[in-house]
Amino acid sequence: MNSAVMKKTMYWFVLPALLFYCLFWIFPILKLFQYSITDYNGYVQKFDYVGFDNFKKLFHEEILGLSVRNTLIYTFVTVVLGNIVALAIAFLLNANIRAKGLYRSAFYIPTLFSAIVVGFIWSYVYMPEEGLIASFLHKIGLNGIDTNFLGSYDKALYSIIAVDIWKNIGTSTIIFLAGLQTVPTDLIEAGKIDGAGRWKLVRYIKIPLLATSVTINVTLSVINGLKAFDYPFVMTNGGPGTSTNTLIYAMYKMAFTDQLFGKASALGIISFALIIVITAAFVFTLNRREISA
Amino acid sequence: MTSASAAKRSLTHIALLALVFLNLVPLFIVLSSSLRSPKNMTDPLHWFNEFTFASFRSAFTRMHFPTALWNSIVLTGVSVVFVVLLAAMAAYPMARIRSRTSRFLYIFFLSGLVVPGQMVLIPIIQMIKSFGIPMNQYTPILMFITCSLPFSTFLYTGFIRSGVPEELEEAAHIDGAGMLRRYWQIVFPLLLPVTVSVVITQGVWIWNDYFFNMVFITKTLDSPLPVAMLGFLGDQQNPAQWNVLFAACILCALPLLLAFLALQKYFVGGMTVGAVKG
Repeated sequence: MNSAVMKKTMYWFVLPALLFYCLFWIFPILKLFQYSITDYNGYVQKFDYVGFDNFKKLFHEEILGLSVRNTLIYTFVTVVLGNIVALAIAFLLNANIRAKGLYRSAFYIPTLFSAIVVGFIWSYVYMPEEGLIASFLHKIGLNGIDTNFLGSYDKALYSIIAVDIWKNIGTSTIIFLAGLQTVPTDLIEAGKIDGAGRWKLVRYIKIPLLATSVTINVTLSVINGLKAFDYPFVMTNGGPGTSTNTLIYAMYKMAFTDQLFGKASALGIISFALIIVITAAFVFTLNRREISA
Repeated sequence: MTSASAAKRSLTHIALLALVFLNLVPLFIVLSSSLRSPKNMTDPLHWFNEFTFASFRSAFTRMHFPTALWNSIVLTGVSVVFVVLLAAMAAYPMARIRSRTSRFLYIFFLSGLVVPGQMVLIPIIQMIKSFGIPMNQYTPILMFITCSLPFSTFLYTGFIRSGVPEELEEAAHIDGAGMLRRYWQIVFPLLLPVTVSVVITQGVWIWNDYFFNMVFITKTLDSPLPVAMLGFLGDQQNPAQWNVLFAACILCALPLLLAFLALQKYFVGGMTVGAVKG
């Protein structure tokens, strides 16, 4: 297979990147497996091996189930809602209208903000009594509504999910739009001649040809959702109670607030397994669809 | 143009305008409040009722804006240069050699995408200490480079496979060019479109990252912009501090917004290089 031009010595080119990647990404993960069976606290360098105690404890405590549940809700809602809204915006933007570029930029602007700034801005939007939503409701005369979005057990998680969707919608929209623009116009014309209505054109021509962008967007948002950390960290500290504790946030807090590095590592391993299984399942199904489409 | 399609277009415009308004209204309020003096506590919904830079001046000094901006530029600039060099080089054999090793490497790098940085952090502090790597304001660069490799090698590999013809290299080979020369003089320059994409996608996240910076950087004067924002964390729940806080938010976002305005087509194009060719 390897011609005289593409020699095996070419592999030397991978070395620098591989070195970084193994040292600072792969090796720490292996280390995490080691820590997960110890009582390491992150500061005192002496630690004992405690077998699977950390895992056993985690499976007996509520926090694991709660964080898994929150993370799954977070992922499900961001993936479904985020992609549907982005797809709808992309369809609107793909219409033959003026000032298209201007609209596109307007949707893209929130993606340029740092998560920390986004957290500040939305804390104001959600603030009870004086926040953006609360004062708007007052203005139009709706006073009876509970506007304590981040302080309520039922609403806090969905409120930070909305922030995540707002922040990322521009990226997904642009990827969908690029996909739509690759749909050849003669295919659409052919569909019209065959008597397909607008919905049928969308359903049988545009969506199947969007398969690549759907795969990319869904995969990226699944990974993004399963790794959710920023908004629980900046906006709610996982609260009220544990209602916005995602897996990664719970792990971070266990390690750096409670100084339970061993137990946090065990939680990390569990999260890692969950992320890999779910992502792999998505990638396999989506890839199969894409080929058959 | 028929009147039916004109009506449809106006409907599209109305729908888009409504969505844009919903999307940007928090940012308008933030901008209007930041342009008020710190003491102006009138209803924020009463937009743009005062124009003064008093809140900006206060935010500017509190976050040490020039220093923070410079720190951001250094951190992002150095990281991005290394990402481009390392990822493009690594992608070259992965795209050119068709073997099990090369396939494995490709998947190996790509799978790093699912690992959360917070997970790596638990062991990494200890490791960095035991390697004898100094912990200072430049330490996050190591994490930025590493974290960017999965996505960047993925983009480069896809692009070399589909966008850089092997025939070009074969011709150069016949003319006696060795592998290094072929890579630097033929392949690397042709990667420009994807390099733009890598610089923009990775540059934006590195510029905006507060997490690795927050962990490694302890001194105020070493902090890049997002970490300088952490100093305002206590003001979030205090309406009396909003005007200054919002001015700080605008200052923090301003450099990227300006870059976006100036380089719009690269930003939009950069997002889609990998996506469409996939």
